[in-house]
Amino acid sequence: MLVASLALVGLTTFFVPLLVRYLGRFTGYPLAVIFLIAAGLLLVESPEVMSGETVVQSWEWVAAFDVQFTLRLNGLALLFAMLVLGVGALVLSYAPQYLDPSYEVGRLYTVLNLFAAAMLGIVLSGDLILLLVFWEITSLSSFLLVAGSGAGGGRQAIRALVITGMGGLAFFGAVIILAVKTQTTNIAEVFAVAPERLSSADYWIVGALVIVAAFTKSAQLPFHFWLPGAMVAVTPVSAYLHAATLVKAGIYLLLLFSPLFLDMPAWNFTLLTVGLATAVFGAYQALRQRDLKALLAYSTVSQLGTMVALVGVGTSSALAAAALLVIAHALFKATLFMLVGIVDREAGSRDLDELSGLWRAMPITATLTGLAAMSMAGVPPLVGFVAKEEAFYSFLDTPQAMWTQGQAWTGIAAAAIAVLGAALTFAYSARIFGGIFFGPLTQRKLYEPSWLFLAPAFVPAIAGLVFGIAPWLLNGIIDRTTVDVGFTMVQSDLSLWHGFSTALILSMIAISLGLLIHFRRRWIVRWLGEEPPTPLGPIIFDRLWDATVRFGTRVGRTAHNTSVGVHLFGVGAMLLGLAIIGFAIIPGAGGGLPAMIPGAAQPVDIAILILLIPTVIFLARTRSAIAALVLAGFVGLIIAVWLLLLGAPDVALTLLLVEFLTVVVAAPVLSRLPVHRDIGRSTTAAISAIVVGVISGLAVWAFTGRRQASDLSEYFLTEAEELTGGTNVVNTILVDFRGLDTLGEITVLFAAALGLLAATAVGVRARKDAVSEVLGVGERAVLRVGAKIVIPLLAIAAVVLFWRGHDEPGGGFIAGLVAGAAVAVASISGIRLRIPSAGVLLAAGLVIALASAFLGPLVGGTIMEPIKISVPLLDYVTSSLIFDLGVFLIVVGLVRAALERLDGLDDSGDSDETGGTDPQVVMGANPADQSKQVAP
Amino acid sequence: MTMAIAVAVLASVGTWLIVRGGAVRLILGFILLGHAVNLVIIAAGGTFRRVAPLVDGGVDLETTADPLPQAFVLTAIVITFGVTVYLLSLLARTAKSSARDQSSRDGGGDPS
Repeated sequence: MLVASLALVGLTTFFVPLLVRYLGRFTGYPLAVIFLIAAGLLLVESPEVMSGETVVQSWEWVAAFDVQFTLRLNGLALLFAMLVLGVGALVLSYAPQYLDPSYEVGRLYTVLNLFAAAMLGIVLSGDLILLLVFWEITSLSSFLLVAGSGAGGGRQAIRALVITGMGGLAFFGAVIILAVKTQTTNIAEVFAVAPERLSSADYWIVGALVIVAAFTKSAQLPFHFWLPGAMVAVTPVSAYLHAATLVKAGIYLLLLFSPLFLDMPAWNFTLLTVGLATAVFGAYQALRQRDLKALLAYSTVSQLGTMVALVGVGTSSALAAAALLVIAHALFKATLFMLVGIVDREAGSRDLDELSGLWRAMPITATLTGLAAMSMAGVPPLVGFVAKEEAFYSFLDTPQAMWTQGQAWTGIAAAAIAVLGAALTFAYSARIFGGIFFGPLTQRKLYEPSWLFLAPAFVPAIAGLVFGIAPWLLNGIIDRTTVDVGFTMVQSDLSLWHGFSTALILSMIAISLGLLIHFRRRWIVRWLGEEPPTPLGPIIFDRLWDATVRFGTRVGRTAHNTSVGVHLFGVGAMLLGLAIIGFAIIPGAGGGLPAMIPGAAQPVDIAILILLIPTVIFLARTRSAIAALVLAGFVGLIIAVWLLLLGAPDVALTLLLVEFLTVVVAAPVLSRLPVHRDIGRSTTAAISAIVVGVISGLAVWAFTGRRQASDLSEYFLTEAEELTGGTNVVNTILVDFRGLDTLGEITVLFAAALGLLAATAVGVRARKDAVSEVLGVGERAVLRVGAKIVIPLLAIAAVVLFWRGHDEPGGGFIAGLVAGAAVAVASISGIRLRIPSAGVLLAAGLVIALASAFLGPLVGGTIMEPIKISVPLLDYVTSSLIFDLGVFLIVVGLVRAALERLDGLDDSGDSDETGGTDPQVVMGANPADQSKQVAP
Repeated sequence: MTMAIAVAVLASVGTWLIVRGGAVRLILGFILLGHAVNLVIIAAGGTFRRVAPLVDGGVDLETTADPLPQAFVLTAIVITFGVTVYLLSLLARTAKSSARDQSSRDGGGDPS
């Protein structure tokens, strides 16, 4: 039932937007019902849990790291789960009445529900990794809820996210150390083996990291400031996340880990001192606030401090008191937030100086507020009183904990500070109630809100009274929780009346002191300074934050430069450095190079160089774009011939086709452009050119042609045919051996084509027939007739090249380029081909390639494993052929996209100027002429 | 040695074009650098064995060229094409918008 409960809440998240569409702000009601069902599913297991069992459900999750998806339910988890779901149900049934009809509720409800699922996940997790994942989701959903609250929310949300995110990182660190040292992430197993596997240093580090995680989440000093800031969120969020549940996650973490650190004095000392300091500080700050939500936020900080301190005391009674305080606090604080929201809605303010005398108009609201405030103040007969009594008793008992070796004064000191905190708490509780409801009623036309609005606050307020009068109802769950945090079976004896105990005397002192503070509040506040000092936390945080952002901007600025030289400089400098280091440290690199293998350079290469070098130099010197383009094509042609001579027919064929297509695609673009405005300085260019040329030439001379064939080459040559059935080794490498690489590469092509389509999406018009502008009717007719002969031939060639690619030069890339050439010829001669659009080709190509890659796993193999598929007539087809089809389609799609979008881009209709009349174009450019020159 | 010279020439002219500036030169320089790098990869496999790696039954390891660099270069060429085409699309786009700026600034006057 554990997973059913978690899945129910988790999966509901996906349906919230749908519910909101029909129910609007009333979506809260069905969600509350779902929370109650989820709680019921957990309660089904509760008899087993209460009898001392732990319910565990586990599935394989990340097998590679041996991480299981483990859920477990013990007393601690049950207690927190009931809070999460119970308070959740109350707050969600409160929200519909609270929210404005105009409020954008879709996001609120979705994230609230997601948060509830994650919070439930935290407390049910039986695995550290799982716990960490849920932990982060709660931080993120808190961020979204605070950020979504409009004015001022952004900054506060960032503060909350960075602080709690820091805690999340600390927790991550703790989890990693524990996982590495104990070789498991299962929480129960970690705790079982930790004492023998963890060194004392590990204990210190893990303890410190867990403390940071818990203190940030539960707003302890000095991280507390994000919590009052988070109050900019709407009241249901404050009531649920920032009072009842999210901030308790830190307490949960401390309780969960306390078995590990119970006998570690530093742990106890840190929690006790920081907790008590936070308790007093928070209570004092609460006393000075006028805004009721800010007051309640500081009050929450204070109460969390008390809980942390109790965990620090570390005795069984202290941990029981902490658990009881968790329950009590959830009940009274959620109630108070909801009631403050009601007052805010009805009276239009939550400022204590503006509210007065509402008792007369809203007696039921006043009664419920009184119950909750009394519980918070620790007044009998409410559950807050019982919790406080237990807390005093435990603090007094502190010397019994191991860490002080029994010095009596520590207990007295701890209890004294706790009494001070309780007195301040009483004072601000009294102020809340008195401030809102006493005094003259100044506003008219105030009425009690509807019972629907009040009911969600009514339930926890009354529950606080019931558990106060009959605290033994909670004995079972508190006992079970105490066992879960590291103690053998204990018998709690919660009751309202313990006789005249020391704790009762302390309570009486606290209440009397609280009354004194309440009536002398102005005097005390004036004495300590009227205006609260500007809080330091946010200032320090903002300074650090701004400095980080500035630093990032400065680092980023170096990359924000449009000069190519700036970017190339870094790359070049690094290469140069590498070369120097290489020559300096690699033994023998300076002079003892292995001998050149004869035959690496052959006479025919000289002929190639004689053609290549002048062409390249002309290319560098020409001032015409079209001339340069032709020369670049010629360079490609020379290299293609060379590749053929070097024994690379596939590569040569590919290059040849690419050169042709580049010219066809580039001509219309370049012909309209002035080529060569000299932007860079010629000396810089010359120096860089020479340096790059010399280094690259030297490197090629030094590092190539000096060793025999590599083992890999031998492997591919000897094994290809047997392993893949193909005899064209290059193609088998592309589609079989290194198929995953090729998949990556065609994805790059896909992305380039998408970029092209996106960059040219705006302003694309129906293509004018570029050819018609420069050709006469007769020439055009000849071109068309020629094209009608060439296109089918190219199509047939593409099919043949594709089909035989596995065995002879050809394959998807080459066939795709040939088909692209057919499309190009059609485009030049103005023939419309009936083939799918570029987008369809690209998408189909990627889908087919991916699908073929996953054929392997389908039949129990690995990704990209060649699979033989029986086909009638053809014997069989391998999956690599299907993969190659994907390659083919993507290449055709890319060519098609380029031809479609780059040609005719300038036919924008708003200008009559065409390339031919642009005075800046040096040569009378017309694309068709160029194409004719290069077309075969 | 011939490979080294070819690479040196292609790389230095490619760099010259890119550093010298201008969008068209950038594209041309990019193409030349692409050729240079492809030749480096081919050279890495050794240029003393020059028989195409088409095996049919048997293969002579002494003379057959290394197929792995060829496979690398083949895809590299196609990717260079993809990137060139993308650069061209950006060029066409910026050229068009700047041409429009120009014509509106010139007020339709004939610049020549």
